[in-house]
Amino acid sequence: MFSIRGVTRATTVVAAATLMLGLSGSSAWAQAAAEPPDPNPGALTITGNIDFLNQYMFRGLRQNSTGMAMWPSFDLGIQTYSGEGGFKSVGINIGTWNSLHTGDTGQDGPSGKLWYESDFYATLGLGFGGGFSIGTTYTAYTSPNNSFSTVKELMFKLGVDDSAQLGKFSMKPYAIFAFEFDTEPGTGQADGGEEAGKYLELGIAPGYTGYSRAAIAFPIKVGLSMGDYYELAGEDHKFGYFSIGGIVTVPLGGTSKFGGWNLHFSGEYQKLGDTPKSFNGDEGNQFIGSVGLGFSY
Amino acid sequence: MGGSGRARRVAAVACVAGCLSAGTAAAQTAGDSNPGAMTLTATMDASNAYLFRGLPQDDTGLILWPAADLSVALRSSGGTLRSVTVGVGTWNSLHTGVTGTDGPSGKLWYESDFNTSVGLGFGGGVNLVAAYTAYTSPNSAFATVTEFSLKVGAHVYGVSPYALVAFELDGQADGGAVEGRYLEVGAVPSVGVAGAAVTIPVRVGLSLDGYYEGLSGDERFGFFSAGGNLTVPLTRERNRFGRWNVHGGADFVWLGDSNALRLGDNTKVIISAGVGLSY
Repeated sequence: MFSIRGVTRATTVVAAATLMLGLSGSSAWAQAAAEPPDPNPGALTITGNIDFLNQYMFRGLRQNSTGMAMWPSFDLGIQTYSGEGGFKSVGINIGTWNSLHTGDTGQDGPSGKLWYESDFYATLGLGFGGGFSIGTTYTAYTSPNNSFSTVKELMFKLGVDDSAQLGKFSMKPYAIFAFEFDTEPGTGQADGGEEAGKYLELGIAPGYTGYSRAAIAFPIKVGLSMGDYYELAGEDHKFGYFSIGGIVTVPLGGTSKFGGWNLHFSGEYQKLGDTPKSFNGDEGNQFIGSVGLGFSY
Repeated sequence: MGGSGRARRVAAVACVAGCLSAGTAAAQTAGDSNPGAMTLTATMDASNAYLFRGLPQDDTGLILWPAADLSVALRSSGGTLRSVTVGVGTWNSLHTGVTGTDGPSGKLWYESDFNTSVGLGFGGGVNLVAAYTAYTSPNSAFATVTEFSLKVGAHVYGVSPYALVAFELDGQADGGAVEGRYLEVGAVPSVGVAGAAVTIPVRVGLSLDGYYEGLSGDERFGFFSAGGNLTVPLTRERNRFGRWNVHGGADFVWLGDSNALRLGDNTKVIISAGVGLSY
């Protein structure tokens, strides 16, 4: 089995993206279903999800070989400033993201414990005109069942929410720059390598919200090493992975005094580079399916 | 180190009970920023020592307790059963001392607890809360303890007596030979003073079976504590950021024999202060 250490997950990025959405466009769902009184017109927004997956890949790096993964997460967003002009908003998000494994890195593994990963993150987001946003996130990736050593990371995300310009369509391009810090050889790194890694992710999330019963999106992204992020036998590999997927989000009724709830389904294909391929038992392709329940309040 | 847990967890769960008995009174207020059914409570406290139900955890450095609870009011009405609330929450303990960054692991995060609860509020201010709690240690200072607890309380003349019974399902707070059963009886008298709230919590922790295992077997008496806490609201009204407060207090704890042996003393004064949010 591969050696596990670093971890995180795309969902954390999604969670952070929640902030970006809030910054640039307010929640489209909340706006669309705004007929009943808003149960929470204040400055705090609570978001929660529970997802079930056949496979957990963190930026292309496989985290479990058998069993299923469950991802409970909570996020608290605080909109500290909202205004007109070029500088639109300031927001703070803090949250926790977790991965529970029934397989070889969880309950069926050496520890016998389900709780593979628990992450804490805090984000400062700035929203500008044109849907442009910048988010700075600190994340501590920890493993309650001691499957990997804690990874600390500072991440910057630049994004554009172009839904205001494109109507029911959007492209939402973004770039992520992440830097591991406080590392030692083999410790505190997603790849378990010698040096702290620097990660670059470029992506778009084409989407359509014109259907009344569901929203669809087709995220496409590529993960790259800007330095030592995908180390293998002492050599860094630039290309980490390419991913393309589809997400369908079905709202469960409108917004009520319990907030807005949804069911979401996704499928994803990943083409892995040399290092992730090695983590994946020399298999260069990976399919991931998930179903989940989410709410925003 | 044996076990874990914390008095603050009880306080966090008590939030659910509070919401049960009072309904979400504040949530009904016109112009409220959060008139919906969900209530978020969060606190961050700092302390000189951490004893869980009298079981010493650490007193060698700074101890931080970040916590958050989300409760959902499923039902709120008149009648005998006045409210039904479910809650989920997390409570954490970060240590700079020998069980944290200065210890073998070198890691700050000593404890992370997850709890989920169901609460029923009845007429007369009586409430009942059933909770499942998993006490875990991210820095591997102790093995996970899972517990089921029942707490019954009432709001009577500002005294708020309560009784809590807890059953360890797996793992043990005392690191003993068998899973323990715990009883806590207490009261939290409170009074308002110049806009601030003063509480004088008093409680006693007892082993019903195997909760305080020592050299001479299980001991009935675990601890007695009495304290004083002051909570000062930072905002008079709930604004769009919720209601914030600063709070501080001290507890005097008198320990039973096995816990005194663990601590090396039979008394301890615990001082803590922090900031809180209710939204």
